[in-house]
Amino acid sequence: MNKRLRDIIRKARPHWRLNGRLINYYWQRTKRNKLAVFGLGFIIFLVLLAAIGPFFTPDPTAVNFEEKNIPPLGFTIEQSIYNIETNDFTTKEIHGSRSHPLGTDSTGRDMLAMIVSGARVSLLVGLIATGIAIILGTIIGVLSAYTGGWVDNALMRFTDVMMTFPFFLLLVLMVFIFGPSLPLIVLVIGLTGWTGTARLIRSESLSLRTREFVVAAKALGASDNRVIFRHLIPNVISLIIVMATLSIPGVIIAEAALSFIGLYDPIVISWGKILESGQHSLDTAWWVAVEPGIILFLTVLAFNFLGDGLRDAFDPKSNI
Amino acid sequence: MGKSWLRDYIIKRLIYTVIIAWGVLTITFILVRVGPSSPADKYLATLPAEGQDVAQITAAIEARYGLDKPIYEQYFDYMGNLFQGNWGWSFSTSMPVIELIKAHWIYSFQLILLSSLFAAFLGILIGIYSAVKQYSKTDYAFTFFSFIGISIPNFWLGIMLILIFSVKLGLFKSYYDTTLPLFSLDNLKALVLPVITLGTGMLAGYVRYTRSAMLDNLRKAFVTTARAKGLPERTVIGKHVFKNAMLPLITIIMFDLGSIVFGGAYLTEIIFGIPGLGQVSFNAIFANDYPVVVAVTLIGAFLVLLINLMTDITYTYLDPRIRYE
Repeated sequence: MNKRLRDIIRKARPHWRLNGRLINYYWQRTKRNKLAVFGLGFIIFLVLLAAIGPFFTPDPTAVNFEEKNIPPLGFTIEQSIYNIETNDFTTKEIHGSRSHPLGTDSTGRDMLAMIVSGARVSLLVGLIATGIAIILGTIIGVLSAYTGGWVDNALMRFTDVMMTFPFFLLLVLMVFIFGPSLPLIVLVIGLTGWTGTARLIRSESLSLRTREFVVAAKALGASDNRVIFRHLIPNVISLIIVMATLSIPGVIIAEAALSFIGLYDPIVISWGKILESGQHSLDTAWWVAVEPGIILFLTVLAFNFLGDGLRDAFDPKSNI
Repeated sequence: MGKSWLRDYIIKRLIYTVIIAWGVLTITFILVRVGPSSPADKYLATLPAEGQDVAQITAAIEARYGLDKPIYEQYFDYMGNLFQGNWGWSFSTSMPVIELIKAHWIYSFQLILLSSLFAAFLGILIGIYSAVKQYSKTDYAFTFFSFIGISIPNFWLGIMLILIFSVKLGLFKSYYDTTLPLFSLDNLKALVLPVITLGTGMLAGYVRYTRSAMLDNLRKAFVTTARAKGLPERTVIGKHVFKNAMLPLITIIMFDLGSIVFGGAYLTEIIFGIPGLGQVSFNAIFANDYPVVVAVTLIGAFLVLLINLMTDITYTYLDPRIRYE
């Protein structure tokens, strides 16, 4: 009898743990989606940029007024300079320079160095905050589905309350109260962003709970811990991966937006902060606002493409 | 039976809304009290550093906000004050917070209303077209652009629109003028770029939702039946498919209003200098004006609550299947 129950458990696992063969299978499915491959490629490029870029770029905080407002390579701008001796304006042409391929901002800081430095911040914030949110959401979702009763009720009402706050307004309030330091911003985003995951994992776990292999495992005397960690979570892992990939862009944008409205950590350079300073020099140095935005946009696009591709790859019903 | 199930449902839903509202108030209360900086600190930060009697000001502010009382009393006072419309005093503008909000909410409302209309109208139209011409080149193009629209950070889009239209082309350079009527030509002109900024993300979302909802319904049996009866394609799409696809769309549009639009409107107002609640809250952050930031967050949450309540009730009314839930 026990053997039959074990057989049911073994056969009924739709995607039981991501072992090497399974990862290869999903990779083959993801690979067919060209946009997802582009997304993955860009994310790898970004990770490399953030990891080793700072060793090849100048100090992003080095101010040099001699070299301010240099346009990106290939562009030329005309700048009018006030001459105090003749009391009139002279026009000077400034060409892009090889030593600052993406130009410099109004204080002469190298744009490339700042963007590379910002990539570190954005990726760290995106990954860590999403990690916190997803882990928290999964714990709350599984706990809610598995214990049921008043615990479930209390947790879900709490989720409803958290969902009622518009995400960005709650972030602004919390960062305003607790102060804008980067670790705190990460923590705050993580602690407010778990609601969607919790709901999804809960509903998924509820349906898994009644499946034969879980019932069979329980009949065999598996402890609650074992059922949760060996049966429930491995079966929602693909869902978690897709959720995480699709939530990272929102987190990166949220951090940039917070920096943009002035709630930034004064000791780090982030894309949002560069954008904020660029907003004020649109008529003298347009690239300061354009460049960080382009890379922010491409990053978000890349994660969205990859997330979409992964969702299709994990979905056994879709044939791509 | 009659309509009593609807009445029961609404009553149940109202009780639930009150419970959530209480939760929202409690969480803000905890945040404000647990936070490392108190309103007194924030107020002190707005004053010149020297020549202040810090202890006296702190005591006065704490007494003003009842921070010297026991915590449970503070909690009841806070609830009571909110219900009486006493939302605190704005340090930076020297007026009651509630007056500040009354003076500015209409501009946020106008921006959100115009952007939603723009996004919903165009988004649904494009979505229907995409679904009907599935896998055509236009469909692919729209799908691709909706991906871009969803991914583009709206505050960057706003800056790019200013750069291209105002700085380079010299168009739409006017600012929003509160002395003119809301819908005067000048103000509407000043709202063109903000509406595009806020509307693009929503528009892209609606295109995707409409398209997939239409496609889902196009495959249903009743569509085949309608076609088999020889109804013209126009009637099939308009009456049978679109009406059924509309229902989930209403929920999504409403849900968007809460989660995305308030954040987006906040940023859009700041970029374009529209004097709505986002701008008010932004100024309050720089002036360390505690009560205003709290109030704007609470108002956002209450609006979401109200919108959710209305959506659920309309939805139940429109789709009787929900009553069996």
